[in-house]
Amino acid sequence: MTTVSMTVNGKQVSAEVAPNTLLVQFIRENLRLTGTHVGCDTSQCGACTVHVDGDSVKSCTMLAVQADGAEVTTIEGLAQNGELHPMQAAFKENHGLQCGFCTPGMIMSAVDLVKRNPNPSEETIRTELEGNICRCTGYHNIVKSVKSASENMGG
Amino acid sequence: MSGKFNSNSAVMNFPRRDSQDKLRGRTKYTVDMENSDVLHAALLRAEIPSARLISIDTSEAKKMPGVKAIATHLDAPGLHGIGISDHPIFAGDVVRYHGEPIAAVAALTKAQAEAAAAAIKVTFEQDDAVLTMEDALSIDAPLVHPDWENYEILFDGAARGGNIAWEATVQRGDTNAAFCRDDVTIVEGCYRVGRQSHVPFEPRAVVASFEDGRYHIQTSTQVPWTVRHVTAKVLGIPEAQVQVTVPAVGGGFGLKFDCSLEPYAAILAKKSGRSVSLYNSRREEQMTCLCRENAEIRLRSAVTKEGEIVGREATVLMDCGAYGGEQVFLTSMTAHTLGGNYKLGSVRISSRAIYTNTPPNGAFRACNGVYNTFALERHTDEICSAIGMDQIEFRRRNVIGNGDIGATGQVFEGDVLRPMLEQLLEKYPIGDTQEVLPDGRLFGRATTVGTWFIFVGPSAATVNLNADGSATLVTSGVEIGSGTMMQSLPQMVAASLGLHPSDVIVKTADTDASGRDLGVGGGRTTVSIGAASMAACEEVREKLLSVASQMLQTKAEDLVLKNGRIEIKDRPGSGATIQTVAQQAELDFGPISGSGAFTNPGVKAMPGCASGHFIEAIDIPVFAVHDCEVAVDPDTGHVEVLSYRIIQDVGRALNPRAIHGQIQGGIVQGLGYALQEEITINADGAFDQTGFETYRLPLAGDVLPIDFELFEGAPSCGPLGTKGAGEVPILNVGASIACAVANATGKAVSELPLTPPRVLALLDDDGYTGLSLTHISSEWHKNTLGRTSSY
Repeated sequence: MTTVSMTVNGKQVSAEVAPNTLLVQFIRENLRLTGTHVGCDTSQCGACTVHVDGDSVKSCTMLAVQADGAEVTTIEGLAQNGELHPMQAAFKENHGLQCGFCTPGMIMSAVDLVKRNPNPSEETIRTELEGNICRCTGYHNIVKSVKSASENMGG
Repeated sequence: MSGKFNSNSAVMNFPRRDSQDKLRGRTKYTVDMENSDVLHAALLRAEIPSARLISIDTSEAKKMPGVKAIATHLDAPGLHGIGISDHPIFAGDVVRYHGEPIAAVAALTKAQAEAAAAAIKVTFEQDDAVLTMEDALSIDAPLVHPDWENYEILFDGAARGGNIAWEATVQRGDTNAAFCRDDVTIVEGCYRVGRQSHVPFEPRAVVASFEDGRYHIQTSTQVPWTVRHVTAKVLGIPEAQVQVTVPAVGGGFGLKFDCSLEPYAAILAKKSGRSVSLYNSRREEQMTCLCRENAEIRLRSAVTKEGEIVGREATVLMDCGAYGGEQVFLTSMTAHTLGGNYKLGSVRISSRAIYTNTPPNGAFRACNGVYNTFALERHTDEICSAIGMDQIEFRRRNVIGNGDIGATGQVFEGDVLRPMLEQLLEKYPIGDTQEVLPDGRLFGRATTVGTWFIFVGPSAATVNLNADGSATLVTSGVEIGSGTMMQSLPQMVAASLGLHPSDVIVKTADTDASGRDLGVGGGRTTVSIGAASMAACEEVREKLLSVASQMLQTKAEDLVLKNGRIEIKDRPGSGATIQTVAQQAELDFGPISGSGAFTNPGVKAMPGCASGHFIEAIDIPVFAVHDCEVAVDPDTGHVEVLSYRIIQDVGRALNPRAIHGQIQGGIVQGLGYALQEEITINADGAFDQTGFETYRLPLAGDVLPIDFELFEGAPSCGPLGTKGAGEVPILNVGASIACAVANATGKAVSELPLTPPRVLALLDDDGYTGLSLTHISSEWHKNTLGRTSSY
């Protein structure tokens, strides 16, 4: 067992974990933050995407110990002061979700996408989202949501 | 009683009430329900397709760290199934497919449970396996169920025999005479499709406990009452001992239309005295997916030069895998998907579910309609080539219209397909189609028609009017992502009672609280649960109006419910709030509630046409017209979809925004089926595609926005004229892409998916001449078990 400490959604957390514990396991099982989902076991679906030190990361591709000392944001930490983040608000407005299971990862990826591409074209959005799979929506409303959020986020 | 309310008030783009929590990551799906008290379970699964089990030794496994309970076939004596009880939940004496559960273990951690499952010692003798339908139908094939004759029959009337689990046949008119006419051209074609995996993002998952002598099952399902029934049947206990509740469900698409993991968790919960969580890893989910079945089809038609189809013979083989399951039921659907699109002078259909030593299949959005429409539309275009008729003109002349009869003799009501076809062609006229694009790719366009149905059946609803003026809708409906339970149903209740949809509380499914229901699937939620809910509202309205009538000294028929108030007609502000009336009712006779029910309206077929059919006529047909343009790269075999547009018959659109989402999502699943999602079964009887590296789901960059129009006003017995809208978008996607690729390449497209290697093989001049399925005879009667006459 080894001790990991990090800041998650602005709160300092620390726990004893097995060294092979994945960041996603730490988030879901130790912290009980279940908004971060596991949709596959091969790091393809993107449902577990979180931000580590501001960059989006599939939390199944990283060990908890690798995030030691990092600032981690999960879907639960995105809304500020009870207000939806502009990306969340855009998904709501544009019907960018159905079953909602891929949605947290999709939103975390999309926030990072807009950070790196403040005014993304539809093509850029589609290319950038290739690491996030959705089975319900057929993507169109997700692409619309990201485009609309990028405009509201001052892109 | 007052006059009907204004049903237009039910139509709105009311946003999803569940979006806030889903967007914030607060929604608890079944996989999120674990807590520190819950035990974790794992299954030991067979890794061979066919064997006789000699012994299962759990003694070492029981001593492993953290293990609290182990279950085997001894704990679940019963068989379940649809039409036939042929399915045990554990392999006992016999393994029939790779992945079949042999034992279940509950332990303190998932890793401990998996380790203990691996420590169970199983001895067996491997048997020969039949892995394809062709093998299963060969004369000397081993039987997947040697004792098939001894199974309990749950639905009478079908022919069965050996590896033929179920056979449904249709005979209307004299096809032999039709094929002998000297003025007809005979066109024959064979078609084949593989399996499709649903991939709901939340895998199948359950948390079970045993409390006060009853099982409580929290599960990610579309069918709480099926789970209750099957769990009781296989455990050999009264159904009343099982309670099923359903948290938010992370997608279904039909995969969760069967009982699956629930009984294992239930048994382990009772044995351990603790709550038990069991869910599939993505790999397990994929390897044991109750897929849309692989199928093989032969169609033969006799057509005059004017394009009249005077005779048609069809044989459809559906691989049910090791157990009959949904395919037994779905044999009934062939009559309607192959025989409900075009006028047929005479028709014979044999639709067979075939046992193989492969993982069982299930129900997937529009089920066998998807590939029957593919086969039928390719066959239709082959007919057009053979008689020299334009593809659109042939469809114009032949699509089913008002008063025409389907395969089983049911009379269709209303002209729907033809006006939909005209509407599409008006919006997208057939122009000068380029055969080759400037970049050298081959261009093709196709327009196809499809017929599917709404799966009606029993639903129940209760509406409680609360003292605060809100209403609670209690049904067994489950929100699987489509938004029906979150949008359409509260909109309907609100419109009926004059409330705002946000004042309608929707109780999540709980078999201890809500009445029996067939489940969420087949496009039936809005129709069946909707109709039951409307009936419940009617009782509430009557009670409310009778109390209000006394209070306001006005006849009930002169009162209207609107904006949370009951008013005297045309005198806004004259009445009282619903809350006030509800409180008066409590004083007069007690709280107001209403109950409602719905079931099949029962459209008639022609007597004697169909045998072995669960559904002889379809209560609510649903039609779709699709059109697409493709570019085929002759060097790589890649098919790019340039445009995709549809006209969909929705009866009445209550929430257009939700329907748009269903259309986009359904078409994209269809594009995956048509172009890239492929499952192959290896010599071990296992799928080669174990996850997303090899099972290629459509990504955002693979697909395009769908252009669509809703066709409203077609006849429907659904409440407010609705038909379900979520099931049907996928129906003719495989057909449209295949026909467009055939038009682009001039080749006989007979198989899906059209992956680049398959398209390159098509384009190979030396090679591809179509498909010849020799195990399906050209002589139709040889594809039946002989109960039908051969003339």
